Amino acid sequence: MASKPESAPSPAQGVGPMYRPDGEKPTATVSKAVSYENVHVLPQTPQLIALLTMIRDKRTARADFIFYSNRIIRLLVEEGLNHLPVVEQSVTTPVGRAYLGVKFEGKICGVSIMRAGEAMEQGLRDCCRSVRIGKILIQRDEETCMPKLFYDKLPADITERWVLLLDPMFATGGSATLAVETLKERGVPEHRILFLNLIASPSGVAEFAERFPKLRVVTAFVDQGLDEKKYIIPGLGDFGDRYYTLAFSMGAVTDHLDIEFPPYKSPG
Amino acid sequence: MESISPFVSTSPAVRYAPPWQDLSIIGIAGSSGSGKTSVAMEIVKSLNLPWVVILVMDSFYKTLSSEEHHKAHANEYDFDCPDSIDFDLLVQTLRDLKKGKKANIPVYSFADHQRQSTTTTLYSPRVIILEGILALHDPRIVEMLDVKIFVEADMDVCLGRRVLRDVRERGRDIEGIIKQWFAFVKPSYTRYVEPQRPISDIIIPRGIENKTAIDMVVKHIQRKLQDKSDKHTEELNKLGLIAAKVELPSNVHVLPATPQLIGMNTILQNPATEQEDFIFYFDRLASILIEKYDFHTPELYIILTNTVARALDMTLYVSANVETPQGNPYMGLHPKGTVSAVAILRGGSCIETALKRSIPDCVTGRVLIQTNECSGEPELHYLKLPPQLEEHATVILMDSQMSSGGAALMAVRVLLDHGVKQDRIVFVTCAAGELGLKRLTAVFPEIHVIVGRIEEEGEPRWIEKRYFGC
Repeated sequence: MASKPESAPSPAQGVGPMYRPDGEKPTATVSKAVSYENVHVLPQTPQLIALLTMIRDKRTARADFIFYSNRIIRLLVEEGLNHLPVVEQSVTTPVGRAYLGVKFEGKICGVSIMRAGEAMEQGLRDCCRSVRIGKILIQRDEETCMPKLFYDKLPADITERWVLLLDPMFATGGSATLAVETLKERGVPEHRILFLNLIASPSGVAEFAERFPKLRVVTAFVDQGLDEKKYIIPGLGDFGDRYYTLAFSMGAVTDHLDIEFPPYKSPG
Repeated sequence: MESISPFVSTSPAVRYAPPWQDLSIIGIAGSSGSGKTSVAMEIVKSLNLPWVVILVMDSFYKTLSSEEHHKAHANEYDFDCPDSIDFDLLVQTLRDLKKGKKANIPVYSFADHQRQSTTTTLYSPRVIILEGILALHDPRIVEMLDVKIFVEADMDVCLGRRVLRDVRERGRDIEGIIKQWFAFVKPSYTRYVEPQRPISDIIIPRGIENKTAIDMVVKHIQRKLQDKSDKHTEELNKLGLIAAKVELPSNVHVLPATPQLIGMNTILQNPATEQEDFIFYFDRLASILIEKYDFHTPELYIILTNTVARALDMTLYVSANVETPQGNPYMGLHPKGTVSAVAILRGGSCIETALKRSIPDCVTGRVLIQTNECSGEPELHYLKLPPQLEEHATVILMDSQMSSGGAALMAVRVLLDHGVKQDRIVFVTCAAGELGLKRLTAVFPEIHVIVGRIEEEGEPRWIEKRYFGC
């Protein structure tokens, strides 16, 4: 159940080459392993861990937070794009040689879940110039306490596109679930949606993977779990605040943006 | 047999000697005012090559004590006897240069009669013209000289020239100059300078006016340089033959051919691609080279552990415990040590945009290596490296493309000559020929190489032309 705090810690291990003795590798906490075929966790390289360490550290100032998270986001986008189809194309190179290459097939667009997802737009644009970006605003309905779609603005031809759904923190996945439902309602086939996020919770990932088996999740790190308030632990605090507003990031988070979605019950 | 390590006994010594390791030194001696400097300058002017430089022995004057300093101002100090020159330092400097190392040349101030705290760096000349009244005096130096030249002129002419020069250029008064001439310069000529005459190979009478003699020397140097170039080119070819027989070693890393990577390579190699798009996709591809494959990737880590300096690569990352804003602990990593870069111009500067995306304040040096269009020989034209390069944890050496590997060999050699350890060098290139890669790693087995794509042999450089649009 997603509402139960998950306490099993993420594995700690030496980071580096396989054959190198553990004692010689610097030790770090790495992502939990996930067994879903449609969930892709970035390779746990020392470099990625170092970038994550920077953005998790509460002492990291906003400018650095933006810089290091953008670097991770570019890695996520590059990994995500590799799931898009290509077709063979052969070209004659400037020196007159034949090169059998490929051509990118299929139009794409980004869809960011406001506001934290918008922080990932720069990284997307760094890799895909002049990419179309739609936006979705999801807030908690004060009466029902359920996530509610407040606003969306999506490309008119979104049904013909591959969608890179952007939201950095994947806790219970409530907002993301509603966003995917919205996209599907607009006619985007599930298999053409890629959900990119930086840090995910094991329960969020598991539930999402079962609910949307054709959708692909690309994440940099599957964290230890959720605390009783549904924050990802260890997490990194409120991504949106740290990216957009906090002059310096100290102390606890006051705002909780992730909204829980009703637990998924597998059909039958 | 056990005493011989298998490494030594089985692998042939594959070495690369840069053209400057085979330095030629030409000594020009002669009386003060005989026209040595003019002759040296005329030779350099006629050759007009960056690797022919003049080394003036005046730079090696010893610093004077306060008493000597006083004497010097009263024109009573003998600057013309061998004791006034720091021959030991000069010999050491020339020996270093002969070995292909860089040398720090002292700067001497005639106003203060002492060595300045700053030095000028001399690196990679192929020919040095050592000029000074006593250039052929010390047998240790004479031994190193390829050509020994003695310039002579009538003593009256010498005195006349000296008076003019010292008044105009060194702000001295005529009385003092005359006093010094008769007290030191002239006796010294008889005692030290003139005896160099018989051991010289060429005597140039009438100095600068003697066009025939200067022309002869220039021709000689040109022949020498041609020999050096031929030898260098031949050696590069020989390295290619050795390298052709071996497998691509494990420290050469080629980016995995993902659909996106092949797609980008297709766009880049399509001549129909607009320059604007070319730049965008090149930057994106180079960012992957830098971001995923700089020193910090596990793949590269694997290479590192193969190398001798295991202790050093441990300093690249250290475990770090941080606290998240909610107060949760996280055990991560922090990088350690400086990462700097050196661009092999012009191609390497294409990768700078990508580099600065990952390390905005990356300290960056530059080295201009051009391939001679006639001989195909790489030539070092310009060099500006960051200070303390030898202390950096990683030095990323960048070039957009590598074919024969001649420029890369030379650039790595330059870094090594500046104290950078082999295993700290990461050579990054977007496309490279296999033979060049083997050649590079056969000579420098401990460097790390990151390649975007293996290209066919003998591919001419074209990426930089597309990137810069010219």
